[in-house]
Formats: sequence, structure tokens, C-alpha cells
Amino acid sequence: MATAEFNLRDFQSGRGVGQGGTAVLRRTVRLIAISLMLLIGLTATSAFSAGDAEKGEQIYVQRCTLCHGEDGDGMGPAAERLNPPPRDFTMAQYKIRTTAFEEIVPVDGDLVRMIHDGMPGTAMPGWSDVLTEQDINDLVAFLKTLAGLEEEEPGQIIDFGAQVPISPESVEAGRKLFHEDDRCSECHGQSGKGDAVKKLKDDSGYRTWPRNLTKPWTFRGSNDPRDIFTRITTGIAGTQMPSFDDPASEGRLSIEQRWNIANYVNSLAKTEKVVRPENIVIRATRVAGPVPVTPEDPQWQEAPSSTFLLVPQLITPDRFFTPSNDTITVRALYNQDEIGFHVEWDDRTRSIPGDGAAKKISEPGLSEDAVAIQLPVTLPVGAEKPYFLHGDSRHPVNLWFWRSGSTTADPSVSLVTARGSAGETTARDADAVGLQGSGSYHEGTWQVVLRRSMTTADPAEDLQFVEGAFIPVAFSAWDGSNGERDSAHTLTTWYWLLLKPQPGNTPWLFAGFAFVLILLIEIWWARTATRRARS
Amino acid sequence: MSTIKKIPKIPRLAQVVLVIGGIYTGFWLIFDLFLGQPIPKSLMGMYMFFVVTGVLMVFTATEESTRQLVHPIQALAEDPARRRWRNVVFLVVPGLVAMAVFLQMQPSDEAPLELRSIHPAPPSSVKIFGKRFDLMSLKNPYRHLQKDDPEQFRELVTAGGEVYIRNCQYCHGDKLDGKGPYAQGLNPVPLNFQDIGTIAQLQESFLFWRIATGGPGLPKEATPWISSMPIWQDFLSEEQIWQVILYLYDYTGHQPRSWGHD
Ligand code: HEC
Ligand code: HEC
Ligand code: HEC
Repeated sequence: MATAEFNLRDFQSGRGVGQGGTAVLRRTVRLIAISLMLLIGLTATSAFSAGDAEKGEQIYVQRCTLCHGEDGDGMGPAAERLNPPPRDFTMAQYKIRTTAFEEIVPVDGDLVRMIHDGMPGTAMPGWSDVLTEQDINDLVAFLKTLAGLEEEEPGQIIDFGAQVPISPESVEAGRKLFHEDDRCSECHGQSGKGDAVKKLKDDSGYRTWPRNLTKPWTFRGSNDPRDIFTRITTGIAGTQMPSFDDPASEGRLSIEQRWNIANYVNSLAKTEKVVRPENIVIRATRVAGPVPVTPEDPQWQEAPSSTFLLVPQLITPDRFFTPSNDTITVRALYNQDEIGFHVEWDDRTRSIPGDGAAKKISEPGLSEDAVAIQLPVTLPVGAEKPYFLHGDSRHPVNLWFWRSGSTTADPSVSLVTARGSAGETTARDADAVGLQGSGSYHEGTWQVVLRRSMTTADPAEDLQFVEGAFIPVAFSAWDGSNGERDSAHTLTTWYWLLLKPQPGNTPWLFAGFAFVLILLIEIWWARTATRRARS
Repeated sequence: MSTIKKIPKIPRLAQVVLVIGGIYTGFWLIFDLFLGQPIPKSLMGMYMFFVVTGVLMVFTATEESTRQLVHPIQALAEDPARRRWRNVVFLVVPGLVAMAVFLQMQPSDEAPLELRSIHPAPPSSVKIFGKRFDLMSLKNPYRHLQKDDPEQFRELVTAGGEVYIRNCQYCHGDKLDGKGPYAQGLNPVPLNFQDIGTIAQLQESFLFWRIATGGPGLPKEATPWISSMPIWQDFLSEEQIWQVILYLYDYTGHQPRSWGHD
């Protein structure tokens, strides 16, 4: 029965952030399915027997060793290419559990849940599509033997008290607690983007990043207040995320306070940064006046935004496996002379080479933060585009770079024509084509504007923007504090830019023509019909 | 037809409209709402064209049914008693057409469809690792061990698994289902090896070619410029590629296609 109960909780947990109205429908369907499962469960409880560790081991060897290692110590062959690394089961430290801080033993349901659903934002996938409930129970029984937990009594589930419903008052109380003495902002930053000035490591020495609380779809648990309440109460084992219910600590919070903070964290979600897979076109908006110069200019908000996933550069040497930036949000404005892109991405660290504080929180080899916009040099004819990663020998691309500068150098804009990652790249004079940019960093977010004239003197070297055409466009970003420079960066595939033209008079003309034509046909038809009826 | 006769109260014309509208709503319900994968407009237009033609064919199957369908329209023009109605309809219809034309003339902001062939015909021979391989006769040098030396075969599969988890799972997923952590950020999406439409249909030589030469090794009809599949001869040895192929088939339980002479 534990399984069905767990599903029900998952259903309530509001995972469908930003999925729109269909989520409700899907959830209803799911509710019906779960009710059915409950019914079946009730009639056949005995079918869900306790896990069998031996069977679990067989499944483990087949499905889990490549990541979690033969001995369950997390040292599978890919460990150093994954961040966070696979869990070391011999340490009995589980991140997502419902048992109190001082209890190390999770309840089986906690493990079942993580195996069933997976952990968003990590390599750990959900297994519900290939493993049965019984398989998962067997696995749990086996995992417990790796740390000798099978002998232990399951831990005591934390006290949830009386849940404080979400209300403006509760959220406000939570906001105060979050910031009071930098309680949470110490690590999660002033606006919750995980951008605080601290370098955190987990117990095994791997870098950990405080969660960006404005992106709840990256939570390992979920952003349902009940889940957040649990995380605040238990802490996250093995990492620096503390428990706020530790009796030995001065920082202990009351149940009500924890609910208020949970409600506040739940309110931080920035849904415009949800990636909508169907949204693959950046629709540039035409403005009457000049294209705004600074990233903070409110006029940018008038343009519709598109958010794209950033993928680490896994494709050409040297590859890069452990990114920290995950999405990029783009807007575009233009007028008859000029076009401007506004790109925005959450980056926990402002990377300033030469700066002592920046160096302290950086991985070895601090470089500048940077972003690049990639455009084909000439508009593609037919379907054939330049290779999505820096073009190819026959189809060069323009790369517009913006770099954040160092203690000794100002932020800079540069222009490059590239012919493939291995091919030749030509550095060009950005001033000569009027490419300009400016950037600003605020509380964990970079905003950068890059502008250029719509046309340039040299159509063989630079893209000439035209209205109405679908123009391929792609982006790259570098987090200089995360060891990202040169080929180590994140990127998007090709998306589209559309400068939507003013339709002008032609649609009216054609519509009017159609109206008159149909009317004439009708009149003619009516006349012949009446004549026929008369005769 | 019998079901239609049971509800004679609805005029035939209204029935046609209802059926077509119903099918359209059905499409929308299934694809937009449930699957969350709206059909592109151009494709929808094509589907609806066939639906409308089909429905009209059914409703005009006999002379009687055609008459029933056309009668109210004819009456509209011929029957003087319905003149007021006629005038209304005669204005509304051109109005609707004009509106459709107007909307159609608006510049579209739907991205162009990108069609690509997923499994293009392989070249007969390719140069990989500086050597020429004849893809028609090329075989996985380790495949025979499956029967001849199961123990060594297991070891090779395990080695292939290590290659896979270190290099491929980011895109193709550690369950080989094409749902790796970064799959959603790529277009075309990494292929799902569990699906019977991919490796289960292919020969190991095809996989060898695809893995060694990656996206850029594809012919034009398969849009090499957007495939993010890396060129693995830059990272892996010939042996490792054959091993990872063993792993792909072993984990999914599929069998490679063969020419049938072994
Ligand atoms: C592709 C690599 C990969 C595979 C395969 C994999 N895992 Fe994981 N798993 C991870 C990573 C990475 C984490 C750590 C995530 C984190 O720390 O946030 C993890 C964490 C876990 C956790 C810890 C949950 C917690 O609350 O701390 C459990 C339990 C787990 N995995 C079970 C399994 C089981 C069982 C299998 C096999 C059916 C499996 N994993 C297969 C990568 C993998
Ligand atoms: C000392 C630093 C630190 C402090 C203080 C801190 N956190 Fe965290 N928090 C972390 C780290 C590190 C993680 C990510 C752990 C991991 O790697 O899974 C995290 C993760 C989280 C998560 C993500 C849970 C999930 O399901 O993924 C939430 C929610 C959270 N913290 C809320 C809070 C709140 C609320 C407070 C204040 C009451 C707080 N944190 C204080 C470091 C901190
Ligand atoms: C950066 C993402 C990425 C990585 C990493 C990757 N692939 Fe791919 N792969 C793709 C994409 C996208 C496709 C589909 C497009 C295509 O056919 O080129 C694909 C296609 C394939 C195909 C063709 C299957 C068919 O049915 O035609 C094979 C085989 C394949 N990959 C094997 C591998 C192997 C083996 C590895 C690891 C050594 C690997 N891939 C790593 C992205 C990736």
C-alpha cells in the first residue's frame, strides 16, 4: 500500500509548474488512475510484498552499477563527469528523506520515491517506466544492505504539525525569516538564485551549488510547500544545506516558521524561465524609436521572451561535462536601421579575473563570463543551414561575443566569422560593422544587450537582416568561475529569429476582393435559381 | 449510416457540420490537450482536407442523401419565403471567406517544418580511422563470441557499457530511451534505442558508420548540419565502437539485422 499512498502525494505535489491548463486535465486523469490503483491495491495488498535484497542486487547489477558503482560507493566509470556525482550508498546519506535530522535511516518510501521519480537536474533518471513497484522494493532492500541499514529500525518521520496554508501573510512572514540574519540568503542569495558568495563542497569534496530557488523544476524533491518544509526540517544530508530543526542548534525554527518559509520559497518560481519546447521562434518586435541600449531598459519587456535549454559542449574536442548555467532567455527589438538582442541567464557567480573575492568562489582557472550569438553569414537557401556548432567550411557563421571584463579590462564586444570548430576563424572589427553591447549583473542574473545595424557594407561577410525571413540563431554561454573557457561552454542548437513585418494593405485588398467575388457569384446563383423556380 | 438515421431530427447539413467539427475537436483534444504536441497548422490543413472530402463522400453516397443535403441550400435561393434568411447568409458567407483570406495573408510566425530522413541509405564504403571499410560486408568482429565464448563476450559488453555511460548517456539516456539529461535541448532529439524503429532494424555495420562519423557524416537528406551526434572516431577507438554496439543490443535485448547468410 505504501506505493499507492506515495503516488497520491506525488500527485498533490504540483510538479507541473508552468505546464498551463492541460496540467489540470492530466492530473485529473492521473487521479482517476491512482484511485483505480488504490482499489486494485486494496483487493490485492499481498501482491506488494517487502523487498527481496537478492533480487534487488540482480536488478542493481543490470541497471545501476554503471553510475553507482559495483560496490555501491558511487564510483562508477562516469562519476567524475557527473555533477552531482552518483550517490555513495555505503554512507547511508540520503538527500531526500522524511525522517528527522538526527535519524540517519530513511523510510523505505523515501528511497522508493527517488528511484521511482528520479532526481530532476541530475543524471539520476526516474525508473517507473522500466521497473515494477516490486522491482523498486527489491532494490530498496538491497540498497539498505550496502550500509547495514537493513538491521535498523526505520527512522521517525518528522512532525509536520498543522500546515499553514499559502496566504500573502504567510509568504511575507516567510520572506522575513528567509532574509533575517541572512538565514537562507547566506547561501541562496538575496533573490533566491543560489548566487551567494560562498564556495560549498559536499562531504566527499565535490562542489555543490545552493539550489536556484526561482527554478523549482530543478528541485530534487519538489516545490510543494510540504516538500520544502521537509527539506528545511531535515536538511540535505552530505551537503551544507542545514537542518532548521536541529535541537542542538540555535538556528532551530518552530513548525509554523518553517511552513511560512516553505510558502515563501514556493512563491519564488519564475515561470517565464520555464523552457517551452514548442517555443522555437524568437519574435522580434518592431519599435518606432531607437533600440534600447541598456539591458535594464523597461522597453525590452515589451518583446516576447523565449527561453532555451543550454547544453554542455559534448560534441567536439575538448568536451565539457559539468555545466552550471542551464537556460538562456532571449528577446529582440528592431527598427528600420538597427536590431538588438537582449539575452538573460542565471549565473551564480560573477567572474572577474584578478578579483580576490571572485577567485575564492571560483574553480581553478578563473576566466571572464561570456555570451555569444551565432548567426549564419548568409540566409540559408532551402533547408541547408551551417553546422549548428560554429558553422562549417562552406557555411560560415557570425559570432557576436560579449565578455564581462576583468579587474584590468572593461567588458568587451567582439566579432568572429567561424567555419567549424576545427576550421579557421577570422577575427573581425566589431566597430566597423557597428556591433555594440553592454551587460549588467544583478543578484545572480546576467543581462546583456548586443546591437548591430540591420545591414552592413559587406554582405559576403555579415548577415543582412530582413523582415519576414526565418533566420537561424543559436547561443553559447561561458561561466568563467566554473572552468568554462574556449571549447568548454554551454550552447543551444539552432532556433529561429523572425522579424515580423508590418503586413501593410495587401491582406485588406485581397479580403475585399474575395468578399466582392463571392457576393457576385451568390447574386448570379440566386438569379438563375429564381428564374428556374419560375419556369 | 444507420446511426445517422436514428436521429432524424438533425438536418443533414447540420450533421455534416457537426461531424467535421467533432473530428476537428477530437484532433485538438488528443494532440494539443492530452499529448501536449499540437499538430503543425499545415499538416492539420491537410488532414482536415481529407476529413471534409471523406465526410462529403459519405453524405452524398446515394442520390437521396445528396438531395437531403443540398435541398436546404437550394431552398434558400429559390424559396421567396426565405428571402430574408437568404440575404443574411449571402452577407455572412462572403464575410467569413474574406476573414479567412485576411488571416491567411498575415505573415506566418510558425517555424518552417524541417523534414529529415532518419535512416538514410549508407554509403557502400567509408573511410574511418584512416582505413576504408566496405559497409556491405563489414561485421562486428566480436559478435561471434556471443556463441563461442560467452564469458569474454560478457566482458566486452561490460566494457561497452562503460564507454556508453561515460560518453553517450547525456543524450541517449542511461536507459537508452533517448531521454538523457540534455536530450530536450537538442533538435533532432537523440534517438531512442529501445524503440523498435532504430537499432532493431539496423545492421551493426550501419551503426559503426553512424557512430564513427556522427551527425556530420550523414548525407544531405538527413540534415547533417543540425544533428548533434558527435563524430566518435575523434574520441573512441575502433574496438570501443564495436564494444558499445554490443552494449546497445545487449541492454535493449534487440538483435542486429543481418544479411541472413549467418
Ligand atoms: C546515469 C547515472 C545513474 C544511474 C544509471 C542511476 N543513478 Fe541513482 N543517482 C545518480 C546521481 C547522479 C545521483 C545523485 C543526485 C544528487 O545528489 O542530487 C543519484 C542518486 C540516487 C539515490 C539517492 C536519493 C537520495 O535521496 O539521496 C538513489 C536511492 C538512487 N540514485 C538509486 C538508484 C538506483 C536504484 C538505480 C538503478 C535502478 C540508479 N540510482 C541508477 C545517477 C544514477
Ligand atoms: C550553508 C548554506 C545553506 C543555507 C544556509 C541554506 N541552504 Fe538550502 N541548500 C544549500 C545547498 C548546498 C543546497 C543543494 C544541496 C544539493 O546539492 O542537493 C540547498 C538546497 C535547498 C533546496 C532544494 C531542495 C530540493 O528539493 O532540491 C531548498 C528548497 C532549500 N535549499 C531551501 C533553503 C531554505 C528555505 C533555507 C533557509 C531556511 C536554506 N535553504 C538555507 C545550502 C544552504
Ligand atoms: C550530444 C548528444 C549525443 C551524444 C553524446 C551521442 N549521441 Fe548518438 N545521436 C544523437 C542524435 C541527436 C542522434 C539523432 C540524429 C542523427 O541520427 O544523427 C543520434 C543518433 C545516433 C545513432 C543512430 C541511430 C539510428 O537509428 O540511426 C546511433 C547508433 C548513436 N547515436 C549512437 C551513439 C553512441 C554509441 C554514442 C556514444 C558513444 C552517442 N550516440 C552519443 C546525439 C548524441
